Amino acid sequence: MIQLVIGQLLNGAIVGALYGIVALGITLTFGITGIVNFALGAFMMLGAYFTWYGYEMMRLPYPVAVIGAVVLVGLFGLFADRGLFRFTRNNLVNGLLVSIGLISIIEASVLLIWTSTPKDLTYVLPGSLRIGGILLPKIKLAVFAVLLLVIGATYLALTRTWVGRAAFAYSQNPEAAALMGVKTDRLQTVVTVYSTALGGLGGALYASLYSLEPTLGAYYVLKAVESAILAGIGNTIGALVGGIIIGITEGIGSVFLPTAFRDGYGMVFLVLILLFKPSGLLGSK
Amino acid sequence: MTRIIPIVAFASAVVAPLLIRSDSTFAIITFGFLLAALAVSFNLIFGFTGQLSFFHAAAFGVAAYMTAILVSDYGWSFWAAIVPALLAVGLLALAVGAICFRFKLREFYFAVVTMAFSEMIRLVVVNWNSVTNGTLGMTVTAQPTLWLPTGSISLTGARTWYYVALLILVATYIICHRVLASWIGRCFAAIRLNEQLGETLGVNIFMYKLLSFVLGSTLAGLTGCFYGFYTGFIEPQYLSITQSLDIVAMVLLGGVNSLFGPVIGGMLLTALPHAINLTAELRIILYGAILIFVIIVMPSGIFGLFSRPRHAV
Repeated sequence: MIQLVIGQLLNGAIVGALYGIVALGITLTFGITGIVNFALGAFMMLGAYFTWYGYEMMRLPYPVAVIGAVVLVGLFGLFADRGLFRFTRNNLVNGLLVSIGLISIIEASVLLIWTSTPKDLTYVLPGSLRIGGILLPKIKLAVFAVLLLVIGATYLALTRTWVGRAAFAYSQNPEAAALMGVKTDRLQTVVTVYSTALGGLGGALYASLYSLEPTLGAYYVLKAVESAILAGIGNTIGALVGGIIIGITEGIGSVFLPTAFRDGYGMVFLVLILLFKPSGLLGSK
Repeated sequence: MTRIIPIVAFASAVVAPLLIRSDSTFAIITFGFLLAALAVSFNLIFGFTGQLSFFHAAAFGVAAYMTAILVSDYGWSFWAAIVPALLAVGLLALAVGAICFRFKLREFYFAVVTMAFSEMIRLVVVNWNSVTNGTLGMTVTAQPTLWLPTGSISLTGARTWYYVALLILVATYIICHRVLASWIGRCFAAIRLNEQLGETLGVNIFMYKLLSFVLGSTLAGLTGCFYGFYTGFIEPQYLSITQSLDIVAMVLLGGVNSLFGPVIGGMLLTALPHAINLTAELRIILYGAILIFVIIVMPSGIFGLFSRPRHAV
C-alpha cells in the first residue's frame, strides 16, 4: 500500500510537471496578451508528432528530434501569432475562439497526414532505476529533470534578463511598461512564440512516455489551465506547483477513490480554490 | 429591417417543405433548427447577459438523457417525461449558477467553473453504466405521439420532425424575445454593460444573472428532450465541451448582438459542411477556418452586417 501510494506520488509529480510546462505557457500568454491560448494543447500535440517523425522516420537521435520539434513548433507559433493572435490581444473571448478554430485545423490536419493510428516511441530510453524498493523508469526521471530545468530557466530568465523583466513589468502594468520603453507588440509576439515552444517541448517529451493520438492536446491543455488557475494565474513557479498538485491529486485520488472519476478530482479541487481563494493557492490576496 | 427578417424567415420556413423533396435535406434543416434553438437560448446568457457559460451542452445532454431514460426504462409518456427533465436541468443550473454568482465569478473564471461542472456531469454520465450505458450511448426507439383534434399522430418521418423542430426553435425564440423586451431584458443589459453601475442603480445582479443562466439552460434542456428522440441515439458526447464550443461558434458566426443572429449561425454551421461534399477531416478544417475568419474579419457576425446598433453604447 505504502509503495503504491509513493509510486503514485512520484508518477503524479512527473505527469504534473508535464501539465506544468503547458500551464507555464498558458500563464505567460495570459499575463502578456490577455488571452487564454487553448491551442497550446494542439501545439503540444504537434511537438509530439514532429518528435516521433524525426526519431522514427528520419532516424535522428532523440535529443535532436526534440530540439527540431521545439523549433518547428515555435515557428508555427510565430505564424499563428502574426496571422491570428495579433488581432485578439486583450480580448479573452475572441482569443479563446480563435484558438479553438486553430485547434480544429491543427488536429484535423494531423489526422489527415498521420491518421488516427496511435504512434509509439516509448522505447527511446528503456530500463529503470530501483530506489528503495520503488521502480522508476529512467525515461520518466529524465523527462522530469528536463521539465524542472526548463521551468527553472524560464523563471531565471523572467527575473534576470531584460526581456524577462520587461515581460514581468508589462504583466504588472502595461502602460507604465510601455512608457519605460517596452515594445508592446514585439514583447507579445516573443511571449506567444515562447509559450508555444514550451508546449512543443511538453509534447516532444510526452512522446517518449505515452503513445500519441491527435487528440492528446485537448486533454492536457485543460489540465494545464486548471494548474495555472490553481496556483494563481500569472505565477511562473506556481504553474509547476499547480501542475504537480493536480497530477498528485489525480494519482492519489485514484488509489483511494474510483479511477473512473480521475479527471474529476483535480476539477473539484480547482472549483474549491476558485470559490474560496480566487487569486490561487499561491496568490497574495 | 431587423424586425422583418425573423418574421419573413420563420414564415418561409413554414411553407418551405412544399419545395423540399429529399429526406436528407429535411434532416439537415431539422438539425439546423434544433441547434439554432440551442444557440438562441445560449445567446440569452452570453450575448445578452454577458456571461460565457460552458454549461449549455450539459443542460442539453442531461435533459436528453433523462427524458430518454424515463421513457425507455420506466415507461413514462414522452410528454410527461419532459417535466421532470426540465425541472432537473433547471435545478442543476440553479445550483451551479448560485455557486458561481454568489462567489462573484466573472468572465474567464465563470467560464472555467461552468466548464468544470459540465465535465463532472459528463463523467457521471460516462461512468453510470447501469443507467446511461456509459460511453456506448443509448438507442431511443420510442416515438412520441401527438394528440390533435383530428386524431393522434406519431412523431416520425422527416416532414413531421421538420415542423416539431421549427416549433421548438420558434418557441425558444419567442420566449427569449418576450423576456428581453421586458424589464428583465433591461436588467440583463445592465449586467452586460456595467455591472457596478447596475448594482448602484438597484438592479439585483445576483438574481438576474441567475435568472438568465437558469432560463437559458432550461431552454437548452427543452431542445435536449426532443433531440434524442429525433436522432434515436444519445451519447455522452452530447455533454462535451466540444458541443458547448460548437454552440459558441454558431452564436458568434451569426452575431452576438442580436436574437436572430444565432439562428443564422446555427443553420449555416449545421448545413454548410453537408452542402459541400468533404471528408470528415476537411470538414473540421473548414469549420475551424470559418470560426477564425468570422472572429478576425467579421466580429459582429453575419447578422451584424444587416443591422446597425440603434443606440451607440
